[in-house]
Amino acid sequence: MFGDIPVEVSPMYEGERIRAANMFVELAGPKSIGAELVQVAGDVEDGKVSVIGPEISEMVKGEIYPFGLKIDIQGEKLEKELESVIERRVHELCNYVKGFMHLNQRDQIWCRISTEAMESGFKFEHLAKSLSILFKEEFPIIESISITVMTKKEEVTQFIEMAREKYTKRDERARELSDEDVDVFYGCLMCQSFAPSHMCVVTPDRTALCGAINWFDCRAAAKIDPDGPIFEIEKGKVIDAEKGEYSNVNAAILEKSQGTTERIFIHSVFGHPHTSCGCFEAVAFYIPEVDGIGIVNRDFKGETPLGIPFSAMAGQCSGGKQVEGFTGLSLEYMRSPKFLNADGGYGRVIWMPKEIKDSVLEFIPEELQDKIPTEEDVNSINEIKKFIYEREHPVIDRIKNAQVDEPVEQVDEPVENEFEEAEYGEASMTPVAMVPEIAIPASGGVKIIFKNAKIYAEKVIIKRK
Amino acid sequence: MIIAVSGKGGTGKTMFSSAMVKILAKTGKDILAIDADPDSNFPEALGVDVDKTVGDVREELKKDTASGNIPAGTNKWDILDYKIMESVVETPDFDLLVMGRPEGSGCYCAVNNMLRKIIETISFNYDIIIIDTEAGLEHLSRRTTQNVDVMMVVTDPSHRGMLTAQRIGELAKELDINFKKLFLVLNRIKYEDEALIRQKATETGLELGGLIYEDPLISKFDREGISLIELPDDSDSIKEVANIVKKALKFQ
Repeated sequence: MFGDIPVEVSPMYEGERIRAANMFVELAGPKSIGAELVQVAGDVEDGKVSVIGPEISEMVKGEIYPFGLKIDIQGEKLEKELESVIERRVHELCNYVKGFMHLNQRDQIWCRISTEAMESGFKFEHLAKSLSILFKEEFPIIESISITVMTKKEEVTQFIEMAREKYTKRDERARELSDEDVDVFYGCLMCQSFAPSHMCVVTPDRTALCGAINWFDCRAAAKIDPDGPIFEIEKGKVIDAEKGEYSNVNAAILEKSQGTTERIFIHSVFGHPHTSCGCFEAVAFYIPEVDGIGIVNRDFKGETPLGIPFSAMAGQCSGGKQVEGFTGLSLEYMRSPKFLNADGGYGRVIWMPKEIKDSVLEFIPEELQDKIPTEEDVNSINEIKKFIYEREHPVIDRIKNAQVDEPVEQVDEPVENEFEEAEYGEASMTPVAMVPEIAIPASGGVKIIFKNAKIYAEKVIIKRK
Repeated sequence: MIIAVSGKGGTGKTMFSSAMVKILAKTGKDILAIDADPDSNFPEALGVDVDKTVGDVREELKKDTASGNIPAGTNKWDILDYKIMESVVETPDFDLLVMGRPEGSGCYCAVNNMLRKIIETISFNYDIIIIDTEAGLEHLSRRTTQNVDVMMVVTDPSHRGMLTAQRIGELAKELDINFKKLFLVLNRIKYEDEALIRQKATETGLELGGLIYEDPLISKFDREGISLIELPDDSDSIKEVANIVKKALKFQ
């Protein structure tokens, strides 16, 4: 099939790097310009290969040239939406060609041709021919394909401009990709060395809570490293779209948490929130007094309105524990349209550090932007109350309704012993902590868990150790 | 093949690593030097400038991720791959990858996982890799050197240097890290102490790979900041390192 190509073409050359010492020429990369683009077009002449600018044989050893790779495809079933998926294969398929190195994608590519390949008579024409064959083999829906290689600066510059417009449009679409649009989510077990019962669920609307990997990264990872810690989860039956509960996600968490966690709500801090390894960039925590949610990030050094800093909060819900009212999250998740979807999204957030608020401001609905206080506005729960009443934050409607209907959040998890919240009438009592769940050590095989506990003390003594 | 160089800080790991690179570069093989010691001066010893380390790339990516600067449709593997390739210093004789500063706060699981895979891929493209590891035992317990074929443990005549060398040997055994070979390399030895030091070396239980005498020329180069690559081929130290390299290459 590749008989007239002077170099070998095979998946075994994937990952090939060409050292500067063994290189004939460099294309695009950090010292030049370049781009690649796959587009669905009409009237594509199948098998056509054009080279605009110098061929490899006309290049000077050791030089760096601009490089454009334009791939036009046509096929009855080909849709515009598939362009980026097909384009993502350029990297892999280029690397099948021995003596041709290809890194990255879009307008950030970097290629090299080895001296050995040049000496065996390898030309761009051969690269294009190999790609045509490989693409049609990989994607039978491609009926015709034509490839243009550009190495002339003016041509490449124009091509990059055109390509960038396309990338921008694609990114807009990618940002709109939501949980409903895909059949596959990803599970990530990278942190199990620290939190053996934790699994991150990564969906288009929720990045991993470390913030480092999104759904696209996971898709790449599962392919690059199929035996690695990131794997596909067919999402299965939708149990609750709003909360983000799916049958196969539950099955996966049950298995991967060694039976510790049975259910996961991807978009809620209540009921069965997503567990946390300890790596999260921020924590969302429920504040029962105002029936709202506070958010605190790792870099925030002060105390939250609950009177405890991030580190103490993080200790509460890390290690793969599922603690109702707490969930670890990434800052990127705060830019997601499904951000704590089931709980009311930003309409439920009643405190966050200024730094975070500024960085996600454009994702906070405009009418809420001045209603969410930061550490610059308030420092205690009472101050939050005052602030949100003054600004008419939507949670006050919830509080008012709750006063009529009584408890807002139901705890539906079986607990051995549940204590009703006790009223402490004495005026001398000081509130020490309010936690949605706290377990205290007990003997005799009994576990005592307080839900939505308010702890009061007659006297609080703070001592320097 | 991968050869790693370990030992207590200040015993001459970097000198030894550079000398190995110098010798191996002459063989025409593709050589990758890896500086895995955040506190070392491997690049200076090799006489090359470094713009960006793997640590810098890692921080850059974290920053771009947190601020939402990564285009939605792209993935971080490819971006990292490109940036790591960019951070490789390429010379006609050898390439150098500098690991650089240690991690900051926050979670590095994901990025380190990607880095491991990327560096593995890069490594496949070289015939011989020389790693100048960070001082001490950390690289063993973190298993960053578990695929190493030959481990060179460098020590000077100091008691503590010897002790660290012995511990490296013991820990490797304890952790079941099976190097094809582990050699002890004695460095900066005075002629008059040779017999005593050889005796002490035997007590570590490690196989002696070679002995480098105190070399006024190396001290001079160090003092004046001259790259060790410039050491003359016929210097006794270089000749001894060449002998040790020959022994190591048997374990390819």
